[in-house]
Amino acid sequence: MSKALLCPCEDVTLDDVEAAIGKGYRDVESIKRYTGFGTGICQGKSCLTAVAQVLARTPGVSPSAVLPFTPRPPMQPTELSVLATLAVDESEAPSGGVPLSAGESSAALRPAGHVPGRASVVIIGGGVMGLALAHNLAKRGCTDVVVLEKGYLCAGASGRNGGGVRMQWGTAANIELAKRSVELMKQFAGEMGINIWLRQGGYLFLAKSRAIAERLEKNARLHNKHAVRTEILTPGAARKLVPQLTMKHVVLAAFHPEDGVIFPWPFLWGYAQAAQKRGVRVETFTQVVGLQTSGGVVSAVQTDRGPIACETVVVAAGAWSPAVARLAGVTLPNEPHRHEILSTEPLKPFLGPLVSVLDSGLYFSQSMRGEIVGGMGDPKEPAALEQGSTLRFLARFSRALTEQVPVLGRVKVLRQWAGCYDVTPDNNPILGRTPGLANLLHMSGFVGHGFMMAPAVAERMAEWMVTGNSDDLFTRFSLERFRSGKLEREDMIIG
Amino acid sequence: MRRLQPIPPDRLVELDFEGTRVPAREGEPVAVALIAAGHEVLARSVKYHRPRGPFCLAAACSQCLMRVDGTPNLYSCRVPARAGMRLERQNSYPSARVDVFNAIDWLFPGGLDHHAMFAGVPVAERVMAKVARHLAGLGLLPEALPPVRAPPELLETEVALVGGGAAGLAAAETLAAKGVPFVLLEREEALGGRWRTGAPEPAPPATLTLPRGTGTVRLLTTALGVYIDARGRFLAAIASPPEGPRLLLVRSARFLFAPGGQVGLLPFENNDLPGVLSGRAVSDLVRRRGILPADSPVLVGHGPELPALAGLLEDSGAHPALVVDTSPEPFPEAVAGQLVKAHGRTRVQAATVERRSGGRRKVDCDAVVVSVPTSPSYELARHAGARVSFRADLGTFAVEADGEGRTRAAGVFVAGDVLGAGTAAEAAESGRRAGAALAGEVRP
Repeated sequence: MSKALLCPCEDVTLDDVEAAIGKGYRDVESIKRYTGFGTGICQGKSCLTAVAQVLARTPGVSPSAVLPFTPRPPMQPTELSVLATLAVDESEAPSGGVPLSAGESSAALRPAGHVPGRASVVIIGGGVMGLALAHNLAKRGCTDVVVLEKGYLCAGASGRNGGGVRMQWGTAANIELAKRSVELMKQFAGEMGINIWLRQGGYLFLAKSRAIAERLEKNARLHNKHAVRTEILTPGAARKLVPQLTMKHVVLAAFHPEDGVIFPWPFLWGYAQAAQKRGVRVETFTQVVGLQTSGGVVSAVQTDRGPIACETVVVAAGAWSPAVARLAGVTLPNEPHRHEILSTEPLKPFLGPLVSVLDSGLYFSQSMRGEIVGGMGDPKEPAALEQGSTLRFLARFSRALTEQVPVLGRVKVLRQWAGCYDVTPDNNPILGRTPGLANLLHMSGFVGHGFMMAPAVAERMAEWMVTGNSDDLFTRFSLERFRSGKLEREDMIIG
Repeated sequence: MRRLQPIPPDRLVELDFEGTRVPAREGEPVAVALIAAGHEVLARSVKYHRPRGPFCLAAACSQCLMRVDGTPNLYSCRVPARAGMRLERQNSYPSARVDVFNAIDWLFPGGLDHHAMFAGVPVAERVMAKVARHLAGLGLLPEALPPVRAPPELLETEVALVGGGAAGLAAAETLAAKGVPFVLLEREEALGGRWRTGAPEPAPPATLTLPRGTGTVRLLTTALGVYIDARGRFLAAIASPPEGPRLLLVRSARFLFAPGGQVGLLPFENNDLPGVLSGRAVSDLVRRRGILPADSPVLVGHGPELPALAGLLEDSGAHPALVVDTSPEPFPEAVAGQLVKAHGRTRVQAATVERRSGGRRKVDCDAVVVSVPTSPSYELARHAGARVSFRADLGTFAVEADGEGRTRAAGVFVAGDVLGAGTAAEAAESGRRAGAALAGEVRP
C-alpha cells in the first residue's frame, strides 16, 4: 500500500509527522517522541532532515525554532562485548558528560505572548507529577491551573526513565502508593484515550550478598502483608523465568509477577491533553525566573513570559526543585544525581521481567518495542544537574549486563542518555506544605521512582488540596520531617 | 543490476542465503553481492512489514539489516563477504518474499496510530498488547556468545581528525606540511570519500597527498562520539579489522571534524521500495564495486551531484529513463518537476512523475535513484559543544563555524560538507583553511 516514509527504520510516514505537528507537537524533540522517528537503528541519520524540512514549512514555525534532536552516542550500533573491554577506575568519580552545552537559549522555542496574569494554582514542572496533579485538580473542578515547563513535555526525568513499575518496596506507604498507581495505569488508556503499553512481566530482584538477600526476604514478608505476592526464589528457580541469566554470585532472588514496565511518554501527553480539555494551561518552553513572596505566602510566579499572580504554587520540578524553591528562599534537602541509561537494537521478545541486581544497581528490561533498556547507578556519582552521557557508563553497564546475560554481548547499543534522580536524605519524597510559606506546596524528591508513583500521589494530592481533608501522606512526607528528625528510610532503591 | 566485470575466479566465494547459493567477490559487502545476484528484498520493515532493500549502502538507513552467521541486525552493506557465510532475512513470516504480516500495510492504508489504537477498549486492548509485543522487535537473540574482544587502544595526539574525504585529506595535508601531529580516522577501507567513489565532478580538487611521518591514519575506523572525563575530551571510535572490532580512544586538545553528510530521502510514495537507491549508493556501486545497479533508472533530486550521476550512469552503459530535477533551476537535460510515486510490489517497476509544467506521467524504470545534497553529520561537533542550526537556504542542519571552520567550542573545528553540502573542491578548500587555522593554534 502506498506510503511516503520519512523514517523507514520505524515506519513513520509523512502523514504521521504532519499529524503530530497538527496536534501541536511543533519542536523536533516532541515530534521524535510522539511519532517515534529517529529512534530506530539509524538514530536519525536518514530521517531527521526530512522531518525538519516538513516542520520548517509549517506556517508559524520559524527556521530558528527548528533545532535538531540531541545526538546521542554511540553514533554507530556498538556491541556490548566491545564496550565491556574498557577498564574503569571505580575509585574515581565520573565527571562530565556529552553532548556538552552549546550555549543554547530556550528563547528559540519560547511561545510568543504572555502567560496568563493570574491563576488559582501554578504548578512548576511539566513532568508526570505536575501534569498528573493538574489533571486530578481539573477533574475535581479546580481548572484555573497553569503548568509551567521550561522545556518540552518529557524533557526531564519523566521522559528519561526506564519505565519500570513495581510494588516491591521497603515501606508500607510506598507499597500502597505503587499498588494504587498500577490500578490507575490499567485504567489510563480508557480514561485518556492513549496507550501506555503496561506489560506486567514482573520484577526479578537478584541479591549477590547475604545482607541484600536478607533485605529482600524482609521486604517480601512486608509485601505479603499488603497482598503483594512477592516470592523468594533460589537462583535456580529464578533462572526458569529468564533462562539466559548466569546467576553469577547470586544467592537469592525476589519476584513479583504483577510488576512491569510501561512506555513513559504517553502518560505526559495523556495527562496534559486531559487537563487542557478541562481548561488547564500547559505552558512549555517557559522558564520560572522568580517567586515573589509577601506576608508569608508566594504571591506571584515570575516567568520569562511575564508574572502570574496566584493563590497556590506547587513545586514539582524533579531534580530542579531545590533550585526553584531557592527562588522563594526555601532550602530543600534534595540533591540531583545523574543516572545513565541506554537502549539497544530491538529484538524479538525473550525477556519477561525487569531484572535488577540490587547490589550493583544494574537493571534491564525489554521494552514493548523489543529494545533492552537498562541502566546502573554509579556509587561515585557526584551531586550535580548533569544530564550528559559518559563512556564510563557504557563500559560499566556492558560488563555488569554481560556478566548476567553473556549472550547479550553480541547485542548492539543504539543510544545512551541520562536523567537526574531527585535524591532526598531518606529516599522518600517531599510532599505538602512549606513551614513559613503557607501556599508553597511540594511534590518532589522521588529518588528516581517518581514516575511509577505519580498517578497515585497526584490523586491524593489533588484530593487533599481541593477538599482540605487531612491525609497522613502530607505529614509523613512533609518537609518538616527533616527538621523534626522523624525519618523512615526506603531501602528498595535501584542504583 | 549487473556486474560490469565478472568476479575473478580467485576471489569468487559462495554465500548461503537462506539455503540459496549466491556468488560474491570476497571482501565486498554481502548486500552488494546479494543485489548483484538479483536478490533485492533483504528485509521487512518493523511495523508494516514492507519489503526493503539496500538504500544508502553507508550504514545510515535500516533497509539492509540481516542476520549474519547467527548475529541479528547487522548492516549487510558493511559485512565483508566470506565463503560460506549464512545470511538470513528477519522479521517476516513465512518468508521475506511473501510475508503475511504485510497485510498490516494493506489493512491500514492511512497508517496505524499506536497511541490511539484500541485505547481503553477492554479486551481488545489486552489482546493488542500481546500481539504487538510478539510482532515488535527485529531479529532473534544472537545464537552464540561473542568471541573474546581485544582491549581498547589508546592514542594521544595534537589534532584528532575525523573523515578522510576531500576536506579531511586537505586538512591533514596542511597539518602534515606544518609538522603538526594528527590522527585521522576514516571509516572506509581507503581515503578519498566521494572524490573516490562519488559521481565525478566537473572540477575535482587537485590530487592530495599525505606525506609520511607526521600523522597516523586509521582506516575502517568509525567514530562513536566525543566524550569527556577528568582528563578532558576524547574521541571514541570502533576499529573494524577482519580480526574483530576493537575500541579506539584518541585524546587530543584539538579536533577537526570532516565527516561529510548523510544521504537524504525524498518523501514520495513508496520511497522505501527495493530498487529505490540513493545517488551515493549508485556511484559507489559503479565506481568501487563495478556493478551497474540499473539499465533504465529514473533519477530524481537536485544539486550538482544529479547531473554528474546521470553522466556516470550513461558512461557506464545505462540509459536513464528520465532525470527529474526538483530545484527551481533545473539543469538543461532534466525535466522540471517531482517524483510522486514509485510503483511495484517487491521492487521498483515504474515511477509517476509530475512535471512542473503540468501533467503526470508514469515511466517504466528498473530503479529510482534519489540524489539530493547530503545532510551534514553534525553529531560529533555537537557532542563537543558546537552549535547546530537549521539552514533554510540549504534545507538541512549545519554546524555553525567561522570562515576557518572554528566552532564556538574551544579547539573544535569543522570542514567540508558538515558546514553544508558543496562540491569536493569546496570541501578541500575548507579543509585547507581549517588545517591552517589549527596549525596556527598548535604552533603559533
